[in-house]
Amino acid sequence: MVKPEVTRPPEFEGSGVEITELEPPTSSRKGRMVFAGVVLLALLLVPALQPFVGFYSYMLQLGIVVLMWVAMTSSWNILGGYTGYISLGHNLFFGLGGYTSGLLLVHYGLSPFATALLAGVVTMFIGLVAGLITLRTRGPAFIISTIALLLMTSLIMDNWDLVGGSNGMDLPLPEIPLIWLKVPFYYAMLVAAVGAVFLGYRVQHSKLGLALRAIAQDEIKAEVAGIDTRRLKVLAFALSAYFPGVVGAIWGYNLTYLRPTIFFIIGVAAQLVLMVIIGGRGTVAGPIIGAALVVALNEVAISQFGSTELNIVVTGVILIVVLLFFPLGIIGTLREKGRLPAVLDWD
Amino acid sequence: MRGLVQVVILGLLLGGVYALMASGLTLLFGVMRVVNLAHAAFMLVAAYMAFFAFDILDIDPFVSLPAIMVVMFLGGAALYRLLFPRIEGSPRYGEMTVLMTFGLAFIAEGLMSFFFTGTFRTASPSYATDAFRVGSFFIPTAQLYASGASIVLLTGLWAFLNFTRTGYGVRATMQNRTAAQIVGVDVRRVSTISFGIGMALAGASGALISFLFPFFPARHWQWIAILLSLIVLGGLGSLKGAVIGALILAVASSLVTDYVGSAWSPMTFFLALFLILVVRPQGLFGKEQRL
Repeated sequence: MVKPEVTRPPEFEGSGVEITELEPPTSSRKGRMVFAGVVLLALLLVPALQPFVGFYSYMLQLGIVVLMWVAMTSSWNILGGYTGYISLGHNLFFGLGGYTSGLLLVHYGLSPFATALLAGVVTMFIGLVAGLITLRTRGPAFIISTIALLLMTSLIMDNWDLVGGSNGMDLPLPEIPLIWLKVPFYYAMLVAAVGAVFLGYRVQHSKLGLALRAIAQDEIKAEVAGIDTRRLKVLAFALSAYFPGVVGAIWGYNLTYLRPTIFFIIGVAAQLVLMVIIGGRGTVAGPIIGAALVVALNEVAISQFGSTELNIVVTGVILIVVLLFFPLGIIGTLREKGRLPAVLDWD
Repeated sequence: MRGLVQVVILGLLLGGVYALMASGLTLLFGVMRVVNLAHAAFMLVAAYMAFFAFDILDIDPFVSLPAIMVVMFLGGAALYRLLFPRIEGSPRYGEMTVLMTFGLAFIAEGLMSFFFTGTFRTASPSYATDAFRVGSFFIPTAQLYASGASIVLLTGLWAFLNFTRTGYGVRATMQNRTAAQIVGVDVRRVSTISFGIGMALAGASGALISFLFPFFPARHWQWIAILLSLIVLGGLGSLKGAVIGALILAVASSLVTDYVGSAWSPMTFFLALFLILVVRPQGLFGKEQRL
């Protein structure tokens, strides 16, 4: 990225006062839009190759997984990135979304494709309530309270007969010819991912986003400046709980079964947090890059070493290395060095 | 009534062991403001050491316990020097320590799963399943021994903190890090030693776990939630609080096991953890401060 020339009055030299342009130049803005359009078009056309490529279901499945994580990381970023409140229990909404649509499918025969948006509303409401309670705390206490929330939910799901307890529920397959089976899931995840990224983008470029970033930097000053911190934090929590519920519903249907050990284990939260931190917290592009990168790494690790145990080790090692040496993540580090390509600069 | 007393006795014996487990965690928070999410994972690492020492070499867990404590002390001190000086003074220190120890917990869990598989393990020395009668009450021998060991170690910790020069330094650092530095306490050294001691206490707890509870690598998440609830109830950084919190919640969970069902006994800890953080974050004996 070419840095725009900014003329600095000499008295500002070395004073530490930074002059930054508020709006990026229109040319790079246009370039970004074209880039996003091309990517989106390509993503829309991907399933059309289905009849021509042999191992295509695998590719689509990979796409489904990446889009699912993109939807979750972009949502988590609203709370963990912009607002600075790290939730290690966010997969709770992922799971509850899956169970909501799963119950509606098993008991009323409603397709999760139709009820996924409703599942999101349910998890958003749960997020609202959870936010009202947990956001009384901050810092490490908030993190621990989200873990406690996840463990409580997991224990309830393990012992609740209506949802099958620890055996979970089996879901019927959708009646679609096998060759096209993955296509509707792919598009559903694409819609959710685009929705979540768009939501994140809108939050970033709104007064809400500005207020949330103020809260992340110094909550007391933000409060003094007249920001209703409590209300906005709870709003951020609720917003960040919507799309995890939606993709949970689609993912459960795609798996054809719901088990507490798939949705409600803390490892899912770890992956989620790792992705956002690698990509760059509090940026629009960071969660997308992080999700794609970690899914790719996992895929390589499993095909090369075939072991999920070592995968857990690698997750931990990468998390620590990134925290120690690149706490800003890929996007943040590149920006700091002034080498962030304009097409990735959506902030 | 007799049933109730029996349940309380079992709860107190359990609480004695929980107190030892929680002491290391609360010490680390007190000295360094580190919420060590990997504490329980390191406990299980020690439990595997004790298990294999017993299983392969036929060494009783109480005999291997001191050796495990030494190994864990050295490992902990090294780990502290390797990781923590880099993030000291970072604006989001508290959050960083949680994420970092979260990462450590995963590394430990993954390595344990890789080398020892996910099978349930438990060491079975002769006293593991014994029990004797006092009046009309049953006392499980293993629990009694473990509680005894826990009381000895906690007394040792208390004596160290109250009657040695290094112990004064540790307590001074707990009260006020900057002030301790000003009056000449080598805070870096104190932190290294405290981290080592915290890990050594995790090691001792692990040796006790090896014959008290069946364990497998991923079990540590449940353990850490239990330990966090104990120290949050007692007040983070307070040793007295950790002991009292452990006794209260252990008895409460025994009662839940008895009257509601064992599946729900972990809920005692999770719910306590959640509610205390939200309603009274300073716990019973904590200073009036936010985490």
